Amino acid sequence: MKTYDQISSLFWLILSIFVCIESIRLGIGTLRHPDMGFMAFGVSVLLGILSLTLFLQAIFKKEEAKIEPFFSGKLWRRVFFVLIAILIYSNVMPVAGYLISTFLLMSFLFWIVKGQRWWGVLFLSFLTTLITYYVFSVWLKCQFPEGLFGL
Amino acid sequence: MGFFDNILLGFQVTLDPNNLFFCAIGVLVGTLVGVLPGIGPQGAMALLLPATFKATPTSSIIMLAGIYYGSQYGGSTTSILVNIPGEPTSLVTCFDGYQMARQGRAGPALGIAAWGSFIAGTLAVIELMCIANPLAKLALSFAPPEYFALICAGLILLTNLARGSTLKALIMVLVGLLIGNIGLDLITGLPRFTFGISELADGVGLIPILMGLFGITEVFENLEQNLDKREIYQTRIRNLWPSLKDWAEAKWAILRGSCIGLFLGIFPGGGPLLSSFVSYAVEKKVSRHPEKFGKGAIEGVAGPESANNSAAGATMVPLLSLGIPPNVSMAMLFSALIIHGIQPGPLLIKNNPDLFWGVIASMYLGNVFLLILNLPLIGIWVQVLKIPYRILFPLILLFCLIGTYAMNNSTFDLLMMILFGVLGYLIKKFGYESAPLILAVVLGPMLEQNLRQSLLLSRGSFLIFITRPISGVILGVAFLLLLTNIFTNVRKKYRQEYKELEE
Repeated sequence: MKTYDQISSLFWLILSIFVCIESIRLGIGTLRHPDMGFMAFGVSVLLGILSLTLFLQAIFKKEEAKIEPFFSGKLWRRVFFVLIAILIYSNVMPVAGYLISTFLLMSFLFWIVKGQRWWGVLFLSFLTTLITYYVFSVWLKCQFPEGLFGL
Repeated sequence: MGFFDNILLGFQVTLDPNNLFFCAIGVLVGTLVGVLPGIGPQGAMALLLPATFKATPTSSIIMLAGIYYGSQYGGSTTSILVNIPGEPTSLVTCFDGYQMARQGRAGPALGIAAWGSFIAGTLAVIELMCIANPLAKLALSFAPPEYFALICAGLILLTNLARGSTLKALIMVLVGLLIGNIGLDLITGLPRFTFGISELADGVGLIPILMGLFGITEVFENLEQNLDKREIYQTRIRNLWPSLKDWAEAKWAILRGSCIGLFLGIFPGGGPLLSSFVSYAVEKKVSRHPEKFGKGAIEGVAGPESANNSAAGATMVPLLSLGIPPNVSMAMLFSALIIHGIQPGPLLIKNNPDLFWGVIASMYLGNVFLLILNLPLIGIWVQVLKIPYRILFPLILLFCLIGTYAMNNSTFDLLMMILFGVLGYLIKKFGYESAPLILAVVLGPMLEQNLRQSLLLSRGSFLIFITRPISGVILGVAFLLLLTNIFTNVRKKYRQEYKELEE
């Protein structure tokens, strides 16, 4: 955790410096007439002080005997692939439409964790897409993009 | 209107078929998410928030409140049968609940948990009825300095009770306040920290933040582990009605647990988790047989389960009377009220009596529903426990995506949700908690508005927060608690180092 604390505290410190500069640019005002950057300035100064404290604490902290790895095992790859999939989905849905993009996303998600036969994956994806479409689009009147194919 | 007229109004509102339906759905979903490890009440509330847009504000709040207190009931089932808490608030129930199940006493454990929850939940509703209204009347005399002090105290208390480092929790609060600063300035109406992105003019939406930090982060965390490896303790569940001996052993634990929850639940940061731990500690302390704890003592199930349920009800007091959410779940209800055009605060009870009293009456009925759901229908929940996570997580992800998109039909919101999902995942890896961040995002704009108004009132003097008695006392107590916490942590650290040196 010692190294992690150093990394994270440095990140917060950089963020606080950035916000501090930006809030000065926006205008801090005076105590009598606080301007729009007033609160952000105060908060960023406090953040800077606390992140420095955390950094110093981490430097003087004794290293633990056992350091927990950032990514344990190989299962973190699933997280990465799922993240990529939902990012693609967010960008593709307006173009391909709700039904097609959701069916493809669900097929991928049901498939990525092993233990499912391909026909099971397709059936579950089809069912999920259809049910959510009827519940949200038809019943709750949410507007989903139809996409290029009108689906 | 008198007290009884108000209660009658509440039941009139709740018994409307529409509201009754939403109440039933709320407690059903609450029990479901309580039973299922991997999704919490906050995640479920965030997921279902968009589904309430077409409903009336009262129905929406009734349903969301039902999810919250319903999840406290459901959490005990997994603790007792699987030794995995469905909710963190049911963690201590594992200690004795699972041991009771191993001894073939799963029925009495589930039974006493449900009855304890019912009694405690009902007491919490009575507390809400009696305290919220007078507190709201008192809050009407509050000016910006008092509100500033209250919000500050809430945030400080929350960091005080954070599971990890207080310093990291304080950093999360500050980051949350900065996120809350994005968007148009409250007074000048000019954009700040938007970097030319027009979608950020209204600030970062609460729904993408909540869905990201709770839905997406939870999925990412669970995907890294193998949740499907959980084992359900195979036993026949019988004798759900506890015996007279069980009642005799558990009755005072239920009462003590309820009182602890009722008291701690009102304070910011208090709530079900802390109450259940305190109750367990108290039960062990007052017991004539403390050695039985951890080996299947029924008081170890009855006390914490009552405490977490009464605290769940009590946390609604500051939200409905002062308009200040004391924890993340209440921040969800706060957001729901805002989305439906209702301003939470002391005027809520006066301006929307149907909503306030309707929610209270729905909690009575909700508790009865929950008793039915958790005792005669316990078999269904045992079956639900067997649903593999590989089926659940795609559904959770899809609901997050649909829910966020449906809010504004915006793919930008989807990207923000994913961004906050990744942020939540990373901050947990680095040992931070997301609860203080969320509460700070919600309370940030209120805090800023009250700070700036106070400074305008005092012509730039910070003394206004100390010289006014109410805000002075509130701030004093909060900072004293913060200092105590820092002092305790430092002392603990030095003691540990001294011990290591001695060894």
